Amino acid sequence: MNRFWCFFFSGAAAIAVLFSAIGPSYGWWFPGASFSPLGAQIDDLFYLILVITSVTFIGVHIVLGYILWQYGSGKPRRASFLHGSHALEVVWSIVPAGVLLFIALYQMDVWARYRVKSNFDPAAVAHPVAEVTARQFEWRIRYPAPGKTLQDKPQPDDLYTVNDLHVPVGKPVLIKLRSEDVLHSFFLPHLRVKQDAVPGLSIPVWFQADKAQVYDLVCAELCGWGHYKMRGQLTAQRAEEYKAYLDELSQTQFDDGVAAKKNDE
Amino acid sequence: MRVQLPIPSVLFVSAWLLAGCGQPPPATFVLNEKATKLLIPEAQETLKQVLADNFGDPNQLVAWQKFPIDYGAAQPGPDNKDRDADGWRLKEGRNLYMQHCLHCHGVSGDGNGPTARFLNPRPRDYRQGVFKFKSTQAPFKPAHADLVRVLKEGIPGTYMPSFVLLGDEKLGMIVDYVRWLSIRGDMEIKLYNELAAAGATPKDVASTVENLLQEAKEDGGKRPGKSELNRKTIDDVMKGINDGLAETVETVASDIAESWAKAEEPESVIAPKVKRTPPSPASIDRGRKLYLSQVQGKKTQCADCHGPAGRGDGPNTEQFWPIPGTTPERKYETVGLHDEWGFPQQPRNLTRGVYRGGRRPVDIYRRIFAGIRGTQMPGFGGTVLNDEEIWDVVNYVLSIPFDGKASAYPTEVETEPKAEVADVRKQEAGDRGQ
Repeated sequence: MNRFWCFFFSGAAAIAVLFSAIGPSYGWWFPGASFSPLGAQIDDLFYLILVITSVTFIGVHIVLGYILWQYGSGKPRRASFLHGSHALEVVWSIVPAGVLLFIALYQMDVWARYRVKSNFDPAAVAHPVAEVTARQFEWRIRYPAPGKTLQDKPQPDDLYTVNDLHVPVGKPVLIKLRSEDVLHSFFLPHLRVKQDAVPGLSIPVWFQADKAQVYDLVCAELCGWGHYKMRGQLTAQRAEEYKAYLDELSQTQFDDGVAAKKNDE
Repeated sequence: MRVQLPIPSVLFVSAWLLAGCGQPPPATFVLNEKATKLLIPEAQETLKQVLADNFGDPNQLVAWQKFPIDYGAAQPGPDNKDRDADGWRLKEGRNLYMQHCLHCHGVSGDGNGPTARFLNPRPRDYRQGVFKFKSTQAPFKPAHADLVRVLKEGIPGTYMPSFVLLGDEKLGMIVDYVRWLSIRGDMEIKLYNELAAAGATPKDVASTVENLLQEAKEDGGKRPGKSELNRKTIDDVMKGINDGLAETVETVASDIAESWAKAEEPESVIAPKVKRTPPSPASIDRGRKLYLSQVQGKKTQCADCHGPAGRGDGPNTEQFWPIPGTTPERKYETVGLHDEWGFPQQPRNLTRGVYRGGRRPVDIYRRIFAGIRGTQMPGFGGTVLNDEEIWDVVNYVLSIPFDGKASAYPTEVETEPKAEVADVRKQEAGDRGQ
């Protein structure tokens, strides 16, 4: 048992560092680079904190390993009595507090951009693209009629879909997030957007997708037995495609079936 | 310090942790409680055998070619191992069904999966072959496309979510498996009816035995034992059934196959012949009058169930209704309307703007034209209302959630109330005040 604990703790730390280092090349990491400008900033924050915590983690484990090595040899030795060290306590309080304060101040800008409504893009706030209502276990989407503004209350010419949110690409868009039953969470992993949906609240969420493609939309709050299959998708489209999509939706929704030839088409 | 754990407690904890591991029992189709289970055991066995021969069990499906279902012809090739045998589509549909549908709708499609009892409204029981939301004429089965549509859109207002992201191919397979389950359940019920008519119920057997005893008594000859008579009666009944069984199964299957095939014919679909009347105030007003049965000779009686203000609280929801097919007549224990499956059912509250069967004008047209199968909602098309009148009612129904200024279609009724309409408005105002 002489140096077992030394190897145990140092080894565990070394394995953790090793796995973190090789993780990205095995895809155990973010789902690709962020597809939104804010997402890139959020990633930067993440990496900053990762660096700080990694340095601390490795440092702590080096010290821990050293002490276990040094004093775990089993040689009998007397412990020396120490009645505390004022200077040491001040240092180990001030340094972490300073680090935390630095993180708290440094991230404010990004947080404000993401969450403080006065910083949102005014055009996106004035014309939310859709209201997304989470319910067990799907995302119900309500768009305003083309050319109109989304109202809090449903309007007769609103357009409805489910699980497939379409937004224009390359510009900030805002959705109103609601929940019909329990807590859900609107999570766009590729855009680094995550926001809980709370029953009774209409929460504005903005994001920007920079590439015209289909992104995953998942629920990130355990909402019931079907939580794992509460999936949707976000389709970012060029302006003209987006408009065509809404027009088609409008045509389908106000279909009076007179031209219908085949079964239910 | 060492913690001493007594060995029994260790064993107990491990046993408790391991409980529930291991293979679950294999999935099986269960017999219909309201049909097969009411027969004498011998007939139950026969019926079970017929179903097993023609449909198999969940792990060994039988694709009976009689029915208009695309079971999937073999597509052998190096890349598609799962498609190398006939019936691969049905199998794949089953796998998807087991993954996505079973926990509510049950292995047998009896709407009685593990989560079903927590849900209101209950998940659909497919076995009657009755589906609510469809585009076909009232008595017909739903078309394939109707069921795909339900899977894509989900049913707002119920627990049925949307499965749109599974894609058309997979949805098509699920729908075919559901149709197959429905056919299986339908066969079971229809064969039960045949067998019951042939006297294979405990009640019929008992009364036959009673008659035979009576006759023997009157003849005054040797008194046969009751159990012997019972055995003999059952043997006779079963012999009669078994002699004609193949033919009966064939006839019943043909009827069911035909009904599903018919749903796919273009002329089975309800297609409005005239275009929708634009939702003008005048049209909405006409629709309102029809809704309230205020038009001479047009007794729609919508308000009897849906209420004068469309809140789904009409007088019919406050009565105790008789259970159909019971003699002597018994009544449901819960107040209000019940559906064909015997569950309490509320007429739709039209003020909510939630339309289970779809919100397109044509969806609502079809609900009014053909009614809703399995419920008390009758069809009005071709009998009470003509196309233009149905469109007026559709326009009115679609305008109900948007009263007053919030409406994009503000009605004249709001600003210039007419006599009889004004009365209803007052009543509505009274309702709201309460």
